[in-house]
Amino acid sequence: QDFNKKNLANRAVVEHRRRLLQEWRAWREQVAEELEEEGVEVPTYEDKDAAQGETIE
Amino acid sequence: MRPILLSGHTRALTQVKYSKDGDIIFSVSKDQIICAWYAANGERLGTYHGHQGALWTVDVDPTTTLLASGAADNTIRLWDVKTGKLLKTWDFGTAIKRVEFSPDGTQLLGVTERRQGHLSTIVVYDIVLDVEAEQADEHSLRIVCEDSKATVAGFSYGSKYIISGHEDGSVTQWDAKTGELLDSAQIQEDDMQITDLQWSSDRTYFITASKDKTAKLVAANDLRVLKTYVADTPLNSAAITPVKDYVILGGGQAAMDVTTTSARQGKFEARFYHKIFEEEIGRVRGHFGPLNYVAVDPQGKSYASGGEDGYVRLHHFDRGYFDFLYEVEREAEQANL
Repeated sequence: QDFNKKNLANRAVVEHRRRLLQEWRAWREQVAEELEEEGVEVPTYEDKDAAQGETIE
Repeated sequence: MRPILLSGHTRALTQVKYSKDGDIIFSVSKDQIICAWYAANGERLGTYHGHQGALWTVDVDPTTTLLASGAADNTIRLWDVKTGKLLKTWDFGTAIKRVEFSPDGTQLLGVTERRQGHLSTIVVYDIVLDVEAEQADEHSLRIVCEDSKATVAGFSYGSKYIISGHEDGSVTQWDAKTGELLDSAQIQEDDMQITDLQWSSDRTYFITASKDKTAKLVAANDLRVLKTYVADTPLNSAAITPVKDYVILGGGQAAMDVTTTSARQGKFEARFYHKIFEEEIGRVRGHFGPLNYVAVDPQGKSYASGGEDGYVRLHHFDRGYFDFLYEVEREAEQANL
């Protein structure tokens, strides 16, 4: 019985994290769309890495 | 994580900043000197001399051409990063508690201290990103903080807003062009000072640190609190890591505020939390006093902490740091493949 309780609790924690992660990603997508609408360019570290990858020395 | 001790300052550190490409670290201290260090090995690259009071703040523009600093000598100074030459001095009636460049480096803001006869203000200067250029004498914008004094401030994405953090635990959103007050929110406990405000890499959200022992993740456009990180000590600084979804908090009780030795133990640590799950992941010890500032390499490879003990501790992240994932993160990653 204790084992079952623990399992349920663990599952609840995982479910909670899954929901937080989904919420976060949905919000980030929404922000990205808004920035695009406003025409704001935001250089990120990913862009910079990509740019560096193109330079051949 | 292998720590590198950057020793060179003789008094408490107040702020630490990375250049945008993560190569150079700038540190300021109450010892009136600005130091520059190589982030790769901690070697000291140079110093900038001239301030006549404790330094409170430093920032470098995104092209690593100009360095700005603010101090208790009531000046903001602009320096040539490469040569260490002083290029410009702006004088004020009170100390400068925070300087920060706009995302494109063409503007610089300064937060001035309140004192009898002086309200706290946020001043903005237009900047020419050229060491040969003549810089403007007059500010292009001046915001007076009448309600509660500003302690920190910065520019949002696209230099659209100036966001300031205040002594009373509130944040204010200003139109960065007109200086109009747009919005205000009491995000920390009443009258618990906001001690730091640092941006996400795209500047659409930021993190605040407070004396109320919490840090908050806040959206720049509507000042909504997205996340709360609960610590067990007053916080002086908080940073958002790129690459990984973490935040790093730094703080600790000043010796004079602590009555027993036992209460001091284990408090001088950098604390890592998961940014999205709000859970503490780990701590890094090492400092002998409160952490006054934590800074993260914009490229995500390392972080540095500046302590009341006079040291900067530089930590390069190891493989385990980058590999670590929560089960649900791994799931999501696999679903994306």
